[in-house]
Amino acid sequence: MITLSYKGKNTFLEAVNKKSGSDVLECYQCGKCVSTCPVSNFMDFPPREIMQMIKLELKEEAQMANSTWFCLTCSACSGRCPREINIPAVMEAVRHMAIEENFHPDSKRVKNIRKFHEIFLDMIKRYGRNYELRMMAEFNIRTRNLFKDMHLAPTALLKGKIPLGVKPLKSKKAIKKMYEMAEKLEKQNK
Amino acid sequence: MARVGVFVCFCGANIADFVDVPTVVEEAKKIREVKFAVDYKYMCSDPGQQMIRDAIVQYRLTSIVVAACSPRMHEKTFRKALSDAGMNPYLLEVANIREHSSWVHQKDKKAATEKAGDLVRMAVAKSIANEQLHEISVPVTKRALVIGGGIAGIQAALDIADARIPVTLVERSPSIGGRMAQLDETFPTLDCSQCILTPKMVDVASHPYIELIPYSEVIELNGYVGNYKARIRKKASYVNFKSCTGCGACWQKCPVKVPNEYNMGIDKRKAIYTPFPQAVPNKPVIDAEHCTMLLKGKCGICAKFCEKGAIDFKMVDEVIEREIGAVVVATGYDLWDATPYEEYGVGRYKDIINSLEFERMVSANGPTGGLPIRPSDGKVPKSVVFIKCVGSRDKAKGIEFCSKICCMYTAKHAILLHHKVHDSRAYIFYMDIRAAGKGYEEFVNRAQVETGAVYLRGRVSKIYQKGDKLMVRGEDGNLGQEVEVEADLVVLATAIVPYKENPALARLLGISYDKYGYLSEAHPKLRPVETAKAGIFLAGCTQAPKDIPETVAQASACAAKVCGLFAGDTMKKDPMVSTVNKEFCSGCQNCVTVCPYQAIVTEDIPLGHGAKETRTVAKINEGVCQGCGSCVAICRSMAINLAGFTDPQIINEIVAI
Repeated sequence: MITLSYKGKNTFLEAVNKKSGSDVLECYQCGKCVSTCPVSNFMDFPPREIMQMIKLELKEEAQMANSTWFCLTCSACSGRCPREINIPAVMEAVRHMAIEENFHPDSKRVKNIRKFHEIFLDMIKRYGRNYELRMMAEFNIRTRNLFKDMHLAPTALLKGKIPLGVKPLKSKKAIKKMYEMAEKLEKQNK
Repeated sequence: MARVGVFVCFCGANIADFVDVPTVVEEAKKIREVKFAVDYKYMCSDPGQQMIRDAIVQYRLTSIVVAACSPRMHEKTFRKALSDAGMNPYLLEVANIREHSSWVHQKDKKAATEKAGDLVRMAVAKSIANEQLHEISVPVTKRALVIGGGIAGIQAALDIADARIPVTLVERSPSIGGRMAQLDETFPTLDCSQCILTPKMVDVASHPYIELIPYSEVIELNGYVGNYKARIRKKASYVNFKSCTGCGACWQKCPVKVPNEYNMGIDKRKAIYTPFPQAVPNKPVIDAEHCTMLLKGKCGICAKFCEKGAIDFKMVDEVIEREIGAVVVATGYDLWDATPYEEYGVGRYKDIINSLEFERMVSANGPTGGLPIRPSDGKVPKSVVFIKCVGSRDKAKGIEFCSKICCMYTAKHAILLHHKVHDSRAYIFYMDIRAAGKGYEEFVNRAQVETGAVYLRGRVSKIYQKGDKLMVRGEDGNLGQEVEVEADLVVLATAIVPYKENPALARLLGISYDKYGYLSEAHPKLRPVETAKAGIFLAGCTQAPKDIPETVAQASACAAKVCGLFAGDTMKKDPMVSTVNKEFCSGCQNCVTVCPYQAIVTEDIPLGHGAKETRTVAKINEGVCQGCGSCVAICRSMAINLAGFTDPQIINEIVAI
């Protein structure tokens, strides 16, 4: 049971709208985004329901949902949205707000998601591309779950799905510059 | 010697799928009098009619049988084809082989074909005895009666009167204006109801062709299309309108307070009152049920303060008679009483109101000066829950149909709430948003985007009190979860039901109504403004729930129908009426009793040629007679004959099978 009470201002809705540059109130709940989304099956709340949560000021529910983290920002949804809402931007806004506000720091799920993203960015910083084997190993070590998905490794390795090494990109300087710019932008936005 | 032509229709597949049409044609050809028989895919189409016209000339036919659909559908069409070929149109007979055979015997083609053959044989036999008949002319009284002075009645009256046809407008309450006068702003443009309605009300009062009779009711209607006679009871107003100036001294001094109907009982009016400041006519009436002077014989304060001496406690009801040619019924709607919704606590919680009460509150001339308030403590609500479909689409407790306008006015209420209370939020529980109309969908989007009204998809299951809040519980289908809203005020969009006295009025007028009390139109698609009784038309919510634009359109359509009816000095009427053979009539007057249209009177004729003694015989008013045949059946001396259905015709039909 969710209790809705009006506190005089729609702070969450307004913040999401400002961050995403879209108006969530435009959503009329048709569900076209849900049937378009390639990963909506894996989400606990599909994009349409996230929109309704934002409308109803259900901040905690929206941030707790795994949907915003699953979103691939492929923009298939926004390409088909009849109300012209930039849905990936809305998902991103909710996700960024969760990170900025250090949402639920004690939740293991949130921690793991953060670690995954940190390791991924680290791989890119080092090699310019993803070194999958190392990434998986590091993730398993840092989350203290050494044998996670280990049973899949032999088949994947034999079929050549996971290369043993990685070929770093040549222009490391350019990548370094990209990271510096991103950090600079983040500081500016704060 | 009769020469009959038979024309059998396929009706596309409607007849041909279940009746073997060529066989029917062959059967018809076997009849001695049939000189020509043919089939065609669509006999009602122009090529089909041309076949009839050509055959009449070529084969010198003396009567025509068309075997097709019901005569109600195309009898007129084929009669016209006969006229065009120079033949008397009443020499046509229609054998209904669709409704009477193919549609009802779809499982047995052989039997259906046989029956179609029988029907054709009967029609041929009857047509042989057909006689040439001619349309009857009936004089028309060119005055229309409009019942109900809401926007429907006002529009109909104005449109008819603009065609220089006199109109009598009867309104039951002291002022015209109806429900629309109670509204604040109207969707989808948010123009103020008063601003667009009151000029029309003034037009009605000042129109040279409109006679406005307020505070009155129609009590009797006799006669027939073009020649009705109406009796109107004008309730005693106890105020002489001629000398009253409408100054208002009387109602300021009146000590009796009564719940104000115009403001849905939110505030009080006096026992002598005008319903609202913009009332037309702007003259007060005394409410006899509450006036102390009329009830107990004491008080009379109003009379003391009236400088013009316009108050007359001895006034009595008056009956006015008017001769009219057509009637427009526009009695409007009421809101359904939501008391059966016990789970919502209707009647138990003061802060649950209906949409018209909310409308009065947010109205600029309303009892709260345009601000919504909680009836319990007078505070301005911040969180307002609107519940749609209360009583509508509810077979169990309310009515089955959709009330049509609630989706739109609830969106409007959300916008008005936002305009009046900026830091408020509207929560709207809905099942569907039905916004079909010009600019309507855009209007609902405006409510959602501009005012942030949240739509929660589901029916509310219960309402309970928690502190000074009302907790409204329902499922939000959009969220897939149960939600509970803390509400300061709950507004119910209750179902639209017809004016409660519609059934009594319908019986008085002799028209039909449905199980909800809505007056029935003659055909749901092709005759939506006429009733089954000629000369009586319907406008507005008395026929079905509808919004203002649709009501106005229907009212104007009524006006067009009335003007069409009054276009000539006389009206044409089918010649299928009864005639009395005075030689045979014994004067028993059974026919007078049995006639449902009061079309039969008596007359005295000399007993013999030149004799002084007289005897009484029946006499039929051709204008009133509808050709039902009841008098023919009851007449024991077989003195009455119904044109088009004479004894030889009927006997021929029977003999043919």
